Amino acid sequence: MSFNRRDFIKTVASTSVIVPLAACAAPSGGKSGSGKARLVVVGGGFGGATAAKYLKMMDAGLDVTLVERNKQFVSCPLSNEVISGHGKYEGLLAGYDGLMKRGVNVVFDDATAVDPASKSVKLKSGTSLKYDFLVLSPGIDFNYAGIEGYSEALANTTHPHAYKAGPQTLALKKQLEGMKDGQTFVITVPPGPFRCPPGPYERASQVANYFKHHGMNKSKVIIADANDSFSKKGLFEQAWKRHYPGMIEWVAGAAGGKVVKFDAKTNTASSDFNDYKGDVVNIIPPHHAGMIAKSTGLTNDKGWCSVDMLTMESTVHKDIYVVGDSTVHGELPVYGAPKSAHMANTQAKVAVGAIIAKINGVPAPEPFFVNTCYSIAETDWGFSVVHIYRAKEGKLVYDTKAGGISPVNMADESALKMQRKLESEYCIGWFKNIMADAFA
Amino acid sequence: MKLHIAVALAGMAFTGIALAGPTEDLARTCNACHGVNGVSVGPSMPSIGGLPEAHLKNVMLQWKTDERYSATMGRHFKGYTEAELSALATYYSKLPYVPTVQKADDKIMAKGKEATDRCETCHGATGGEPDDAETPKLNGQWAQYLELELMKYRNDAVKMPHKKMRNNAKKLADEDVAAVAEFYAAQPK
Ligand SMILES: Cc1cc2nc3c(=O)[nH]c(=O)nc-3n(C[C@H](O)[C@H](O)[C@H](O)COP(=O)(O)OP(=O)(O)OC[C@H]3O[C@@H](n4cnc5c(N)ncnc54)[C@H](O)[C@@H]3O)c2cc1C
Ligand code: HEC
Ligand code: HEC
Repeated sequence: MSFNRRDFIKTVASTSVIVPLAACAAPSGGKSGSGKARLVVVGGGFGGATAAKYLKMMDAGLDVTLVERNKQFVSCPLSNEVISGHGKYEGLLAGYDGLMKRGVNVVFDDATAVDPASKSVKLKSGTSLKYDFLVLSPGIDFNYAGIEGYSEALANTTHPHAYKAGPQTLALKKQLEGMKDGQTFVITVPPGPFRCPPGPYERASQVANYFKHHGMNKSKVIIADANDSFSKKGLFEQAWKRHYPGMIEWVAGAAGGKVVKFDAKTNTASSDFNDYKGDVVNIIPPHHAGMIAKSTGLTNDKGWCSVDMLTMESTVHKDIYVVGDSTVHGELPVYGAPKSAHMANTQAKVAVGAIIAKINGVPAPEPFFVNTCYSIAETDWGFSVVHIYRAKEGKLVYDTKAGGISPVNMADESALKMQRKLESEYCIGWFKNIMADAFA
Repeated sequence: MKLHIAVALAGMAFTGIALAGPTEDLARTCNACHGVNGVSVGPSMPSIGGLPEAHLKNVMLQWKTDERYSATMGRHFKGYTEAELSALATYYSKLPYVPTVQKADDKIMAKGKEATDRCETCHGATGGEPDDAETPKLNGQWAQYLELELMKYRNDAVKMPHKKMRNNAKKLADEDVAAVAEFYAAQPK
């Protein structure tokens, strides 16, 4: 840092007292964190990359280090469309040059341990990073033991879950492309919460879409679900009826959909009541918070990190902020606080605001959380769910007057078609902007 | 205390958007869809930075009260107060308008120019010189967004309250809609 920020502040401070205080709204203003606060962000996905970028954008003087194990990020959003052939794999990729240009120190390494007492993060390479504030956004990891007979080794070879985008996305795509008319594609859904509540059902739609457009009208998708309902259910069921009649079968948990066992040799997933034999079986294993959050002791008995709803600071260790899929955000119902890229984005910005306020010794600003999850069920057939949250009396409240799902029915057929077409296009526009918001 | 105030002011002067107040905190959530400073990089999503304040206020408040159709936005704005939305409109109107110039071939440009004859009185020849504060800039707006917007104005089954704009949009021939959008999107000014 060639420029001494503290001297600058002294100079400006002594010359700017004539500016009336009212000109800047309290708690506005903030001294620069230059040479003071060391920020470490672990995980360069939707939450972590956004946090690193906004820390730098809101105070260029902060010392920000991002630790990410992969040189290239692969987006889960729109990966279902890659599986069906509607999107290109290259379109899911992002690098870290944008963040480096903004002055973020990007370290490609694995964070192996966090010591909240000495405030340091240990890396696989052996180095250790000291922090004043730590942001963790490690996404999810899987509890393979939750499905007897399934394993990480199977996921990486013959039975990709493709629930972390990457090589497994392409492997699943290849399996779909190898199917013949009349064959069955089974998707098993773990108990909630899991990342992207509409994700498995969007995937089922995209698989059916592939069947439909490749003359495989006798093929079927079976969704064996551990849960008794799902996100945007009315919208998905309408889409399935219109576009893929008879092709997609959903089995609720109460009807024996909860898969607990898998036999890779016979390609059979089983619940306590039913067997689901498929030609392709896509097991989505149960998840928990990213391993590093777990090993740091930040998780509750269900495997997720509980945070102060208004700042995203861990309720276990102070000065550690957890954002993204790893968190349970307040006491909202499972579908009231979805694990989505948009949530990770909005939570990251709130955490950044709270951290900068803390550095400056002022109260955390009012947090604003917004979520929108778009899904595409067929070409020109998209829909969404919106959540708007407000802080009320120290708690996060889901505003029931706002948000909600896209209209299922509209008085006019041409209006309904337009609504679905618009949201299928807005989905792509959202994706481009949210990727840029994190990585550019 | 005195020191604290001085330092706060200095930080404000230097770091720009750091801790700048609730409107900017709220505006940061819009970036996920509209880009930083309201400059969108996704062709279906509009750039909103630098649009006229009166236009921004109109659409945002009409969405809050359900007087105007939207596919997504209305569900967001029911969660904010009128004061918050007005402050956002003011905030975005003060940001620079950054056109994203999208080249189109000569044939489309000629077709677009001809079809926008009747639009000129309100939008100016290039869409960049609106005749009043309630009329948005169209130059360098994303072509895809403009085309989708025209689709809304042309569909009588949804609420788009500006009658004159709607009538004008409906007078466009089907095959001219895309050309009109591309024509405006190609204009730097
Ligand atoms: C099929 C599918 C479709 C989806 N579609 C949508 C959608 O349309 N819209 C939407 O909003 N969301 C969608 N999602 C959800 C979205 O992908 C996640 O909610 C989002 O990625 C969460 O962000 P995150 O930062 O918590 O985790 P991630 O984005 O997964 O980022 C975590 C990062 O941390 C890194 N990491 C983890 N541990 C370490 C460590 N110890 N050291 C170093 N690096 C580490 C990982 O490599 C990774 O890059 C979808 C998900 C799936 C699976
Ligand atoms: C999930 C994505 C998303 C978010 C977040 C979002 N918008 Fe939008 N915005 C849209 C879409 C989609 C449209 C097109 C209108 C529609 O919904 O049909 C739009 C249109 C607009 C327009 C109309 C522009 C014009 O030229 O008339 C304005 C103004 C606007 N948004 C303001 C905002 C503001 C301010 C915020 C933040 C408080 C915001 N938006 C957050 C998706 C979003
Ligand atoms: C009488 C004045 C008038 C005429 C003529 C007119 N417009 Fe408009 N236009 C407006 C106004 C005002 C708005 C904003 C209206 C609203 O709030 O819905 C608008 C909005 C638009 C928008 C939406 C932009 C956005 O950011 O959402 C497009 C696209 C557009 N006009 C294109 C056209 C085209 C093409 C023509 C000619 C065929 C035309 N207009 C003729 C006044 C006019």
